[in-house]
Amino acid sequence: MWDIVEQGRKLFRHGREDFQAAVQAASDCPAFREDVEEEWVTDEARSCYNCRFRRWTPDSFLCQAAAG
Amino acid sequence: MKVLICIDDTDNLESRGTGDLAEQLATEIEERNWGRSEFVTRHQLLVHPDVPYTSHNSSMCFAAEIGEQYLPALVERAKAFLVEESAEGSDPGLAVAVPDTLSDTALLVDFGRRAKREVLRKQDAYDLAAAQGIYLSEHGGTGHGVIGALAGIGLRMSGNDGRIKGWLEIPTRDGMARVADIVEQFQLGGVRSMAGDLLEENDLVAVGEKPKAVYLDGKPFLMVSPLTDAGPARWKTSCRRELKKY
Repeated sequence: MWDIVEQGRKLFRHGREDFQAAVQAASDCPAFREDVEEEWVTDEARSCYNCRFRRWTPDSFLCQAAAG
Repeated sequence: MKVLICIDDTDNLESRGTGDLAEQLATEIEERNWGRSEFVTRHQLLVHPDVPYTSHNSSMCFAAEIGEQYLPALVERAKAFLVEESAEGSDPGLAVAVPDTLSDTALLVDFGRRAKREVLRKQDAYDLAAAQGIYLSEHGGTGHGVIGALAGIGLRMSGNDGRIKGWLEIPTRDGMARVADIVEQFQLGGVRSMAGDLLEENDLVAVGEKPKAVYLDGKPFLMVSPLTDAGPARWKTSCRRELKKY
């Protein structure tokens, strides 16, 4: 699900368009927190794509959650 | 007079979003009886390793129709508001423009569009703002938010960028609503298909969860996608995945 990149950060392996994988990754994540409504990109509330701790990159996102 | 106010980079991972702050400022303008505020638009800017941003790099803009005499007070209040409300570690920027006084709107729109595809410098923003008579200021951190703040003004002025903050709470019957009723209730430019077709007044739309409007031709439009089942509605409100591109 994740690649560990520079400085030990977690990069989502499935890119920006794998909505099912993003839901799956968030489903058992203790750090998940919904971002504000205007930043949601999918209707499934609990998705890494809607998480406050995701930081978008050109091709995917980095998880910024300490316990993510 | 019409003014455009845009803020960017006011948040951190723990704070309120920039959109909430924009909405609060818009409300405050009305509470102070300076004028009437419009909806807030969210504008996506470039996501790139060389651009500093918290998580998504978007700016928030709104228009207000105010008494001309209140402009200086509005600018001062907006500055103080950003100082009070911006989160620790953020790099907030503020832009306030009076569209009727701009000498070259195209330059500003172009700056906004470039900010969606290029890494721009703070000085680029300050130079353009000075040349156009736009108020631009930074309020902590690196102040890089001035780039997004000015870009947001340009993108709002383009009339064709961004999603409207919030969602439309559309009253329905059997899960559907008539186009004319939706347009009237929310003062929309219309209801439009993702392919660009404008729906007719009597068309029925199946209303999904938390439908959102986007900013097109200078107005908010509800976007819909075709329904293929045999029900009375031939359209359904577009989901967020479909609206990502706005």
